[in-house]
Amino acid sequence: MARTLAMFTDTSLCIGCRACQVACKQWNELPMEQPEWTGTYQNQRHFTDKTYRLVRFVEQPKPNGDLAWFLMSDVCKHCAQAGCLDACPTGAIYRTEFGTVNINQDVCNGCRYCISSCPFGVVAFNHDTGRASKCTFCNDRIHNGLGPACAKTCPTESIQFGFRDELVPKAQRRVETLKGLGFANAQLYGDDPKGPLGGLNAFFLLLDKPGIYDLPDKPLLPQRNVFVDSLLSIGSALVVGVGAMIAFRERGGRGDDHA
Amino acid sequence: MLKTPDWHMLIVWYFFVGGIAGGAYFTAAIADNFGGARDRGVVRLGYLLALPLIAVCGILLILDLGVPSRFLNMLGAFKFWDPMSIGAWMLGVFGLFAFVSAALSFSASEATIAFRRRFSLVGTITGFFLASYTGVLLSATALPFWSDGRLMGALFLASGASTGMAAISLLLFLSGESAGEGFKKVKHADRFAMVFELILLAVFLALLGSAAAPLTSGQFAPLFWGGLVVAGLLVPLVLDLTGGRVRALGALSAVLVLFGGFILRYVIVMTHA
Repeated sequence: MARTLAMFTDTSLCIGCRACQVACKQWNELPMEQPEWTGTYQNQRHFTDKTYRLVRFVEQPKPNGDLAWFLMSDVCKHCAQAGCLDACPTGAIYRTEFGTVNINQDVCNGCRYCISSCPFGVVAFNHDTGRASKCTFCNDRIHNGLGPACAKTCPTESIQFGFRDELVPKAQRRVETLKGLGFANAQLYGDDPKGPLGGLNAFFLLLDKPGIYDLPDKPLLPQRNVFVDSLLSIGSALVVGVGAMIAFRERGGRGDDHA
Repeated sequence: MLKTPDWHMLIVWYFFVGGIAGGAYFTAAIADNFGGARDRGVVRLGYLLALPLIAVCGILLILDLGVPSRFLNMLGAFKFWDPMSIGAWMLGVFGLFAFVSAALSFSASEATIAFRRRFSLVGTITGFFLASYTGVLLSATALPFWSDGRLMGALFLASGASTGMAAISLLLFLSGESAGEGFKKVKHADRFAMVFELILLAVFLALLGSAAAPLTSGQFAPLFWGGLVVAGLLVPLVLDLTGGRVRALGALSAVLVLFGGFILRYVIVMTHA
């Protein structure tokens, strides 16, 4: 495997210009969609099959009654342990040599299992093609020596693209700087390979708790349940099976053996 | 912010029919191996029921994909940790067992019957799998209502057993074979499965805690309490326990069990539709 690539989205630098959202649409030829009223400048409410990059406009009340504005350009996290990838029964969802997670559109058969297996609700169903779709990390671009369109276009370097092992230390330094400037809640999300989902290859610097950005505090891999639930199902099978054996058992041995 | 998979009635029907197919098959196989000659009606009906039902299952799943030929894509991968991947393969394996068992259920030769018994005993594993893996499949998602209960697979299995047994007893009644010992035994086994299902359901709701709200107090609460718990479990149990020798009541109870089994799949799948 090649050196793992990553995107680091530093929300403290985001100005909400949505250049990333537009660049993503242009490069990936994503059509327009019905706008959604979300109560803020944000549009759409969440990722769709036509929106892979989405700028979130989060308004939080301050003690003095004003609103604090948190801006965040959100994207597929390309998890090191990806629920969508593990759920995919066709192998259409695969990990590239750069560590990103991609959906092979020719192989996807539209079962939609990955959609509810993403801890972030990223994967969307495309009703026109009948297949699942999500951010590709601009798979075509990174295989030709270019960064993803969103990172390339970001005018404030809020979205940075590079090798993961170079971006993480940079992000850690940035958090310290921000804390020194008084942003007490500044924190990294998804930088730690020992953390939830083995770390996220698209990781973030947040200015407050993950929850305000609609991110789960501790995202979990859905497949963690398979082992225990299977054992409990086997237990259930034993109980039901023994019950049926007792019901059908011939008292005084098997009588007539001819069926 | 999580997304739901957009699964609707085709999947509800698949979960329901798959449960009956698995339940009917392992009930027949257990009757074949541990019962006697008087249970042969149960054995034959169970095998013969599982075969067309598993075909229906395949059709339902293929229709759900929109483009039927895309089902073949499932066969390009095998992931043993992925309920849907292993499920797609096991559908075929179960079909093979159901076909052979059903074909051999007509034979009167001693050797064939002995082979069928051993073969079907192995097949019970695929029957148990088919009845339960759909629950494990739901619990391996990110949606709390589907994934926080731990007993979804166990519950689907008990329900699959119960609906499979109910389907067999109903067919015995309709074909005029309910006077025999087999009818009594399959009802006995069904009562046991129903009581176990009630216990599992209670523990399941307790484990879900607040995540159980869609069932216990949400839009599907009337269907859940009225359709599944009362009409689908408590009433058939009371009918079976008090109905005594009235076979029509036994058949009515089987109809209610089937109804309850459908409601269980319906409320669980449609909560996230």
